[in-house]
Amino acid sequence: MPMNGPLAICLSAGMALGLAVVIGRKFVEQGAYPAALAQQNPTASSVPVDRSVETAIAQLQQVGREGQGNAAAAQAWQTLVAAGRAAFFPALRAVREDQPIAANWLRTALDAIVEKEQAAGRTLPLAELEAFVTDRRQAPRARFWAYEWLVQAQPSARDRMLPLCLDDPSLELRRLAIAYELDRLERSGRADSRAELERLFGFARDRDQVDALAQRISQAGGQADVTRHFGFCTHLEWLGPWDAPGSQGYSLAYPPEKEPLAAGPFRGKDQREIQWQTAETTDRYGLFDLNKLVGKHKDAVVFMRAVLRAPQPTPCQIRVTSPTAVKIFLNGEFLFGREEYHHGTNFDAHIAPATLRAGDNIVLIKVCQNNQQESWAQAWQVQVRICDATGGPIPALQQVIRQQNQMRTIPLGARCEKDSPLPEK
Amino acid sequence: MTQISVTSRWIVWRSSGMLLPLLILSGLSFGLLLPLQGADWPQFRGPNGSGVSTEAPLPVEWSRTHNIAWQASLPGRGVSSPIVVGDRVYLTASSGPRGDRLHLLAYDAHRGTLLWHRQLQATGPTHCHPKTCMAAHTPAADAQGVYALFASGDLLACNPDGSLRWYRSLASDYPTISNQVGMAASLILIEGKLIVPMDNVGESFLAALDIRDGRNLWKAERPREINWVTPVVRPHTEGAEILLAGPRGLYAYDVATGQVRWSFKEAAFTVPLPLLEDEAVYLPVQGVSKFSLGPDGIRGKPLWQNRSLQTGYSSPLLYRGRIYTASSTGFITAADATSGKELFRERVKGAFSASPVAGDGKVYCFNETGTCYVLDARTDTFELLATNSLEEETLATPAIAHQRLYVRTDKTLYAIGLK
Repeated sequence: MPMNGPLAICLSAGMALGLAVVIGRKFVEQGAYPAALAQQNPTASSVPVDRSVETAIAQLQQVGREGQGNAAAAQAWQTLVAAGRAAFFPALRAVREDQPIAANWLRTALDAIVEKEQAAGRTLPLAELEAFVTDRRQAPRARFWAYEWLVQAQPSARDRMLPLCLDDPSLELRRLAIAYELDRLERSGRADSRAELERLFGFARDRDQVDALAQRISQAGGQADVTRHFGFCTHLEWLGPWDAPGSQGYSLAYPPEKEPLAAGPFRGKDQREIQWQTAETTDRYGLFDLNKLVGKHKDAVVFMRAVLRAPQPTPCQIRVTSPTAVKIFLNGEFLFGREEYHHGTNFDAHIAPATLRAGDNIVLIKVCQNNQQESWAQAWQVQVRICDATGGPIPALQQVIRQQNQMRTIPLGARCEKDSPLPEK
Repeated sequence: MTQISVTSRWIVWRSSGMLLPLLILSGLSFGLLLPLQGADWPQFRGPNGSGVSTEAPLPVEWSRTHNIAWQASLPGRGVSSPIVVGDRVYLTASSGPRGDRLHLLAYDAHRGTLLWHRQLQATGPTHCHPKTCMAAHTPAADAQGVYALFASGDLLACNPDGSLRWYRSLASDYPTISNQVGMAASLILIEGKLIVPMDNVGESFLAALDIRDGRNLWKAERPREINWVTPVVRPHTEGAEILLAGPRGLYAYDVATGQVRWSFKEAAFTVPLPLLEDEAVYLPVQGVSKFSLGPDGIRGKPLWQNRSLQTGYSSPLLYRGRIYTASSTGFITAADATSGKELFRERVKGAFSASPVAGDGKVYCFNETGTCYVLDARTDTFELLATNSLEEETLATPAIAHQRLYVRTDKTLYAIGLK
């Protein structure tokens, strides 16, 4: 492919940036890429982009529901791929986390462009690629793709990049970085360094890595608090059981859904009087077994309530794990629901992005039980955690709890000292 | 017809069941598509889900190092099957700690060269039973391209050269879609329509999509229950119909409109496929049951039932007048298709997830550890021609084309047979 204007500019910028990256590396400490260098990063700024490429990208970003815009998007895709190298960084920069459909159109176009380049024996501009990876203003998924293409072309880049990614917004890069650091500790004979392990534990987000690090910290004489790290609600108020005739509890509206703070008492299942009660769990993963707490009931509903105190408006995710149908409410507003029963207890199965207001917030979880009789369909349980978008802790969050009729605050995830055993590795 | 550039390849010509090297072209550009002879295997279990190929000869013995035409390491897991159209083998895989990295791969069927690789990030939930993954639906393909659905609801269509024709996020279109066990019912192609089975506990449907742009042509509501049965197509004087079974019975849908033509609620099953044979249908209920099938659906009581014909995850096979099953409890069973009389029932090692397939007088039964029992289908007795092992987890049904078996394990795609 002949070198065209934008390509020449990209390459020149890439060479200049390569020098900047080399210089910048000298200033890199503890996983933070120098902000000043990121500000100069041409991948995020004003490199001229061919109009047809811009138009094609815009077309991909306009694909709508049920395939609307697909035909035009297919043409745009062809335009991008035909533009080849000149379209590579504009397409990469156009990826946005809140546009997952467009991101997938762009990803496949990038795949095709990379294949064309490789078939032609050409290498992508590595310095520019490296700068893109380090530019945290770009979409995390696009930065991870760029990392993979970079390392594919230049395996040694891994040693430069991963130490910078321990706190990365990209879960994939973060995971690789933690694995890399663990491997480095092993090779340097410091695999039992408690301080190093605790440092990595703070960065870990995937449950397998969190559990493995917690176990190693324990073996090194420390104690990693998995419950606080994940931000599990260890104290919940509960109200139930409510009657859910015909397993229709998910669809029926119960009083707490409209007035989550109404004190009651209420008439629950079998016309029995029910009112809010407190519960706490010592389970490492914040598990509340409703069969033990509320009793074994079929065709029933229970509500779980937590009060979260935030010092300022705080973006978060409310993540719920349950084998039965759930609804998630925040401050009286419905956020998420899933009507599915006994198809597994997948960790973080239900995720509701939200923003906590400054002050107290009422998190309400409706947990339904149906009437299946099979032995494997009897579980009724829930785990609730509040975390940031990466699944990590929000240190400023407090949980307001009632103990012995006294209201007090505890850090989110704090629990009693009675500890359940660490999981097997 | 697609233009292809050939730099160095064998062009093969098949005659009288033999594959002969005809020509080596080096450094030439070619303006013609060179169609491979032989039958394609364009969807789950091949032509209309039958599991039967007309290819011959087919391999009898192999191992990881013997009688392997080529093998390719895979970028992820999958319980989906490879499919073969022309000189392309298509396959899906999924990877990543969250299983949200989705792969559609196209290989040169002759040499195993990776021709292109398209990746998506899942837009729907990726939770599932650990035995399965997001690459569970087998893609479907024709000469115009390949269509791949993932259990996250991501659905894409690519031309044979790998260019993206269209893409849809069904989880975005229909946000209540959910099956935390994991979905797996495969796509089929019929009359310019891509038939998408999406039975789940949320918005549950069977849809026909325009293969040109992926837009809905029709969308028929289905029961809100999980189900893994792949549809099959039945020719009909009033236009083809789609048979789709599930927990509420067997339903026939008009391919043109999506209207239900008839249903048979007495037979509910959720994993194996029904088998069609002229005016009969074999349903995997009570073992396997054979019913008479008329223009308006299933007539009366079963012609026979045989409870020994156990299935589980795999589907039964109808081949040379016999019904074969390979069960999740490790039994290979055969019965006479006319009478239902059991011919043999043998316990072998391992459970079966892959469905048996057949061709060239042989039945191939792959167990979950990659051991394949090759049965002689010319006899009513259990005659093992060979027992071959790939020593890798094998949950996917193999494909048959080009006088080879194409087998995907959890790590590798193997082309077994003629080099």
